[in-house]
This record gives sequence, structure tokens and C-alpha cells, in this order.
Amino acid sequence: MTTDLNQFPQLDKTKFEQRGIQLEIGVPVTCAVSIGNYIAAGFGDGTIRIFSSGEKHKTLKAHKGVILCMAKDGDNILTGGDDGYFLKISLNGEINEVTNFGSRWVDHVAAHNGNLVCSSGKVAYYWDKNKKEPKSLNHDSTIGGLAFDAKGRRLAVSRYGGVTVWKKDYSNKWKSTKLDWKGSHNKVSFSPDGKYLVTSMQENVLRCWRLKDKLDFAMSGYGSKVKSFAFIDDSSYLATSGAIDAICWPFDGEGPMGRTPICVPYVGNNQVTFIEPFPNEKAIFAGLSDGSVFLSQIENENNTIIIRSFTGSEVSAIAMTDDKSSIFIGDMSGNTLWTSIWDQ
Amino acid sequence: MENKHQVPVTVLTGFLGAGKTTLLNRILTEQHGQKYAVIVNEFGEQGIDNDLVVDADEEVFEMNNGCICCTVRGDLIRILSGLMKRADKLDAIIVETTGLADPAPVAQTFFVDQDVANKTKLDAIVTVADAVHLSSQIEDHHEAEEQIAFGDVILLNKIDLVKDENIDVVTKRIRKINPFAKIIKTTKCGAPLKEILNLDAFSLKRILEVEPDFLESDHDHEHDDDVTSLSFVSDKPLDMEKFQNWFGKLLQTKGQDIMRTKGILDFKGENDRYVFQGVHMLMDASPMGKWPDDKERSSRLVFIGRNLETMNLKEGFEACKSE
Repeated sequence: MTTDLNQFPQLDKTKFEQRGIQLEIGVPVTCAVSIGNYIAAGFGDGTIRIFSSGEKHKTLKAHKGVILCMAKDGDNILTGGDDGYFLKISLNGEINEVTNFGSRWVDHVAAHNGNLVCSSGKVAYYWDKNKKEPKSLNHDSTIGGLAFDAKGRRLAVSRYGGVTVWKKDYSNKWKSTKLDWKGSHNKVSFSPDGKYLVTSMQENVLRCWRLKDKLDFAMSGYGSKVKSFAFIDDSSYLATSGAIDAICWPFDGEGPMGRTPICVPYVGNNQVTFIEPFPNEKAIFAGLSDGSVFLSQIENENNTIIIRSFTGSEVSAIAMTDDKSSIFIGDMSGNTLWTSIWDQ
Repeated sequence: MENKHQVPVTVLTGFLGAGKTTLLNRILTEQHGQKYAVIVNEFGEQGIDNDLVVDADEEVFEMNNGCICCTVRGDLIRILSGLMKRADKLDAIIVETTGLADPAPVAQTFFVDQDVANKTKLDAIVTVADAVHLSSQIEDHHEAEEQIAFGDVILLNKIDLVKDENIDVVTKRIRKINPFAKIIKTTKCGAPLKEILNLDAFSLKRILEVEPDFLESDHDHEHDDDVTSLSFVSDKPLDMEKFQNWFGKLLQTKGQDIMRTKGILDFKGENDRYVFQGVHMLMDASPMGKWPDDKERSSRLVFIGRNLETMNLKEGFEACKSE
């Protein structure tokens, strides 16, 4: 009987762990976004931690309960919580309440060019940057995800039974189009080129619509729910979690129909739980269910490096600064790593 | 799977006015020092005394898994995964359903969603029944019957308002629908909480500990759409392949009418006991170790559901006995 040492988690610290800052917060990391060269991370106890290179991280008490969602709005952080608050927070720690829904959770937030949107239950609330009062966009069932397209002209709202795409017409009135597919749709995203719309579903499958003709198709074969996905290098790939490999569907040319995805493999049998693109490269950070994080080139499977080793807890957030110098990693037990990517 | 920490979830069901909120408030006030999350319907009864109360919408949707009766509570998946991100660890979660809710989608949620199943576990379905009105509610509302059929514990409440002989009538009616629920007779839901919480009623191990009354089934009933139960016992070992074929096909085709199943099976050539339990088409099954030396090997099977008499269950089960 032989023992393959690669089957075991690497217990030695990676060079990134050695030079970076590791914290054991003890509370789940629920979300993280980059704002310039800062990273804001949200936690299950309502705190936000802001990381930047050369400074000690700053901790803010923002919500009374779990921070359920986070988005970037210019230089500000938007957060929604299970305390019913929708907050706008500046990098120097100033907290402003956008609104408050009482006992109802704020499940999703998004922003584009100063226009804000959040969802609570079945309603998406849209704040035009020039207006004080939000516009309510109603749906028949609870909202599973929100996304603007790259230009901010369309807002996709996923829900049970499909996606509602909202758009303002020439007279500035909201018009909606429905893309129907039976089942519960969660995270939603437009491809950066605006040609496709993708949702992850309650079943282990993604649904995709080609928007010019509403042709829809499934991307399936996953061993678990696809909780995280991201378009890579503009719109050349859609990289997805939900399997022991990172499954990367080609979205260039005629799109993914009839083409096989590239599977980026990792050591062992842990599921990929989080995907974060490396901006402007055909490369991804993949976080796994055991806490490890890898950086891989999609088209060269031998070019994978380990960023963080095993922690025993599912990776729930990865974010890279806009200058691509540093990354933040967090997991469901509150282990975080903040490190520079490049050797000095 | 067995060793990880899973927060127990108790589902409180029962027809309107039976006393669900009374029971809920008793649990919350008597269990000092325990951290509970309570999930209630926004249209439900008011006045719940707890720090952490979450409004739910009871949004039921069908899974696209080729199984027509596989409905789950989408709101529960969302709320439970949100609760699992909290900093403070919960001792238990209580889900109060509306009086007209079918308990099946709640139970099925715990079979279907992997994240929910990893971090929480369905502890038991507790049905509060109004001893005064249950008989007429069962006649008039199929939901009342379903709530009895799904209960692991049935609190027969308000017995102070009913004559003894009528309590016997109601109890018999409950037994006919659901022979393996534990019936606790109460006034103002005054049952010991240890008989309501932390029961682990959905674990396969527990099925071995609390064996249902495998009494001879009562085949006559008044209406065709009544919920009834049937049970079967065999001292002769079963043929595993035959049983799997029969039972799999049965759940596939009749799973809508079959609400709950439980069983302990003795297969020919196998040293282990096989235990299973199911909700409609969904099933959880596992070998559970060797047969104890002091126990006769035998197979026992219980069904609760509608139209059971049309499914040729006895013949099907008999045909699974090994040659």
C-alpha cells in the first residue's frame, strides 16, 4: 500500500500566509468587496472590517445581526442585514442609514453609478441617485438575487419561476420582461458584454438566457448547489463553484451551447465553494470547502498555486484589491487572511 | 455526517386555535438560558415572547427533480442559511406553521437542501390538536388530517373541556391515522418539555428505540380519502432486490398518497438491520448494525397515507419474502 502525500492537506503555511495577516475572528465571514485598494469584509455579528496595505485593519460595528449582503457604491460600502437595516458606510467609518425594514431582512443589495437597489422579501427598492424616495419593484415571490448589467441600464431580479428584467423606457418608466423557468433562482448575473443572463438554482444547476432571442439552456453536472460564479476576463468564461473542480464554461464566440467546459482540478475531493476572478486575466481564485484557496490559470491546469492552506471551514469570501496587489480570504469559521500577492 | 453539530429544528403544527402559540410561549419561558430562534408566519397569531423572531412567508415550491410531490419551503432554506451565519450559536430553532399548512414541504426541505441538512436537523414535528374540535376539523379539512399524519408527537390539548369517553373517541381517531405518534393529553399545552424537544424523531437510530405499535391494521373506514395507516410484519427474511424494486416503484408511483413510511428490515444473507423512514417520495435509509442477540429478527413496515388499500401493499410485501 502506498501513501500519496498529496491526498493530505498541506499543513505548512503558504508563503502568502507567512507574509500576510491571519486573524481568527470566530464569526462567519459573510461577504467582501474591493473599494479601490481597500477591502471591506462583513461578518455574522454585524461588524465590518476594512483592510488596506500598510495600515492596521479597522473594525466597525454596523449591524445588530448578520450582514447578509454587501456591494460597492463608489467609495462607499452598502450593506444589508438581518436587523432590517440597509446602510451606506464610508471607508473612514461613517455609517448612514438608507432605510430600515424593521423585522424584515435585507437580503440583497446592488449599486451602479450612485443608483442603489436592495431587496427585502418580494420587493426590490430602487433609489435613483437624484431622488430621496425609492421606487418599489414588486414580484410575486421572494427575491433570490439582484444584478445590474455593466451599463446600469437593466436590473435583473431572480425569484421563484425565473428572472424579471427591469429597464427604464424613454419616458423614464420602469418596464419589466419575464424570463421564466420553473424552480427557485438564486444568484443572478449579466455577462459583462450584456449578451447573457445566468442564475444559479436550488437544484445543482445553472440556467442561462441568451438575451437577444431569449434562448435558454441549462449548465448542469454539479455535485452540489452552485453558490458562487463569476465571469472571467470580460466575458470569455463563466467560472463556477459546486463541483470538486472549478467548472469554467466558454462564453466567447457563439457561447457555451454544445461546448464542453474546462475543469480546473484541485487536490483531494473538496467542493469548490467560492470563485473570484483575477481581473483582466483568464485566471481565478477558487475557495474550497476545507478552507484552502488556489489561484489557477484556466487554460493551463498545471499553473495552479496554493494561496491559503486547509482551515477546515468552507471559504465564504474572496476579494482582490483593484490594483491587484492584495487579496482577502474569509471562511465560515471566521478565519481570515489578508496578504499581498506579489513577491517583494 | 453524524458527528457534526447540527442545530435541532422543531416544527409546531396544528389547526387554527389548537394552542400552538400557547405551547411556543411555554417553551420559550420555561427553557431559561437557551437561545432559540423562532420562525413564524407573518399572518400567524401574535404575541411571541422571544428575542429572535423571524417572519416567514411559507413559500412552497416544487423541485425540478422529476418527483412531482417534492415540494419544499423556499423561505425556510433562505432563513435557516441566514441563521447559520449568526455569531451566537443557537440551541434550537422552532418553526411555527400556519393552521392550514401541510407539514410535508417543511419536512422535505431537510431532505432536499444539502446546506440545511448539514447544519440543521429536523428534530420532530409536534402537532397540537384541539380535543373539542379535532373530529369535526378532520372531517372538514384535509390539512387537519395531514397534520395528525405527520406528527411525531401529538398534543391532544384542551382535554379539560371534553368528557372522558369523548377523549377516547378522539384518541382512537388519531391512532387510526397515525399509529406511531406519541399522544400526550394536556390542558393549556402543559406537557413536559422533554417530551416535545430534542426527540431526534427523524434519526434512523431513534426508529429502533421507539418502535411503533405494529398492531393489526384496521382496514375499514368511512371515506375513501381518509388518511389511514397500515403495517406489516414478517418473520421470514426479505429478498433485498425484490424489496427495493417493489418499494422504489411504489414510492415513485404512489408517493403523493403515501405520506410517511418507517420500517426495520431483515434481509436474507445480511447481518445488519436496515432502517428507513420517508416523507412522500423522499427516503432516508441505512444499515444500523447487527441484530441484537436478544431480539428475534423480523421485518416491520408502516405506511401512513391516503388510498392505501388500493396499492396492494400486503401482496407486494408478501412477494418480497425470500424463497
